[in-house]
Amino acid sequence: MKKAIQISTEDLVFQLDPSETLLEGLERTGHQVEYQCRSGYCGSCRVTLHSGRVEYQEQPLAYLQENEILPCCCRPLEPLEVSVGLITKAKKSA
Amino acid sequence: MKYSTFSLLDNDQLKEPMFFGQSVNVARYDQQKYPIFEQLIEKQLSFFWRPEEVDVSQDRSDYRNLPDHEKHIFISNLKYQILLDSIQGRSPNVAFLPLVSLPELETWIETWSFSETIHSRSYTHIIRNIVNDPAVVFDDIMRNQHIIERATDISKYYDDLIQYTLLYTKLGAGTHTVNGKTHQVNLFELKRKLYLCMMSVNVLEAIRFYVSFACSFAFAERRLMEGNAKIIRLIARDEALHLVATQHIINIMQEGKDDPEMAEVARSCHAESIKMFKHAAQQEKEWAKYLFKDGSMIGLNNVILDQYIEYITNHRMRAVGLEPAFEKATHNPIPWINAWTSSDNVQVAPQEVEVSSYLVGQINSEISADDLGDFEL
Ligand code: FES
Ligand SMILES: [Fe+2]
Ligand SMILES: [Fe+2]
Repeated sequence: MKKAIQISTEDLVFQLDPSETLLEGLERTGHQVEYQCRSGYCGSCRVTLHSGRVEYQEQPLAYLQENEILPCCCRPLEPLEVSVGLITKAKKSA
Repeated sequence: MKYSTFSLLDNDQLKEPMFFGQSVNVARYDQQKYPIFEQLIEKQLSFFWRPEEVDVSQDRSDYRNLPDHEKHIFISNLKYQILLDSIQGRSPNVAFLPLVSLPELETWIETWSFSETIHSRSYTHIIRNIVNDPAVVFDDIMRNQHIIERATDISKYYDDLIQYTLLYTKLGAGTHTVNGKTHQVNLFELKRKLYLCMMSVNVLEAIRFYVSFACSFAFAERRLMEGNAKIIRLIARDEALHLVATQHIINIMQEGKDDPEMAEVARSCHAESIKMFKHAAQQEKEWAKYLFKDGSMIGLNNVILDQYIEYITNHRMRAVGLEPAFEKATHNPIPWINAWTSSDNVQVAPQEVEVSSYLVGQINSEISADDLGDFEL
């Protein structure tokens, strides 16, 4: 059985449900993430990964630096630490 | 470096750099130095669409009923997009094909340019439907100061590269006087012109289209001009792919594994690249001002569009290894646009179907609802 994986962002820690993608999890918890294709070819959703490992079912087309991942299509293999913040915070600083 | 449409020198294509190696002879894809370009080609082919298949008939009455200032917004954006795709439908071929040395990249460039010609043809489809005489719209493009101003900024990098390539291939490195004008010609400078051109294309496809996209989708959010929005969604899907391709090319150049000198070229163009992004953002802001000169539209105004431009400029700069230019622009003021550019289901408007991304977009916009406080209808 797959189980929830812990995701730590700049502003909070949450459990990623096995049925949702990392992008959906980040959106559900109010994080500032971009998206367009939601299937790995546009690169809009890319975020920096500080710790943890992910895998891809299919190699995504978007360009990625070594420390970047695509939340729309990656599958976390262990707890992750990503540099994403909450929308509410982003707005305050704007 | 001399261009030939079929170089007779037997070479190992896997050892050629992306550009400035031996011209491609056999178009083969059984082996690829960079499989990513072959994958991009396949993706682009799978996206193939024909403008005529999109029903835009409802737009005619929608357009007729728009207030004048919104007619101005709609038509001006179309004109600008026509200009951009006119450039993109030919320039990658003319500028890059003489320099490319990998078959998969050569074919990507051709596939890319071809998809731009579909965009161009779709504008005629849209315009034919909403006005009786399409010439009224088309003829004004070359006479509209606000559009022409930006045309030069976009085409100059292509033109520079094309001219310099001609000099280099014809005369080689050295100091040459042609028609009384002296040119310093060398390969490093040619590489710089290629790099800057690639960056300017990246800017074009990363930023310049998005003000128009935002307006088109703002109309569609009100269930107006939905045929147009359907076409724009198909265009946006293609553009996302084009953008990723130039991001790949630029990043490969910066790494220097493909051509060590290119890494040096990239460093020497760093400051100018940043300037290019900032300049484009500034121009797009001015464009937004021109669009809304007689009044804004529901859901969008100058201030919001400015924030949006800064936000995506940051985002796009990061993707090509540049530090973001607008420190304060950390949040997307119009998150609903993502649901429209998302390609879950390009045939159907986000409101019509429970597209997962749209529902999520809804939640997003609820969260940021207090944003709406600062714009007036
Ligand atoms: S949304 Fe396109 S790559 Fe993730
Ligand atoms: Fe296009
Ligand atoms: Fe394009």
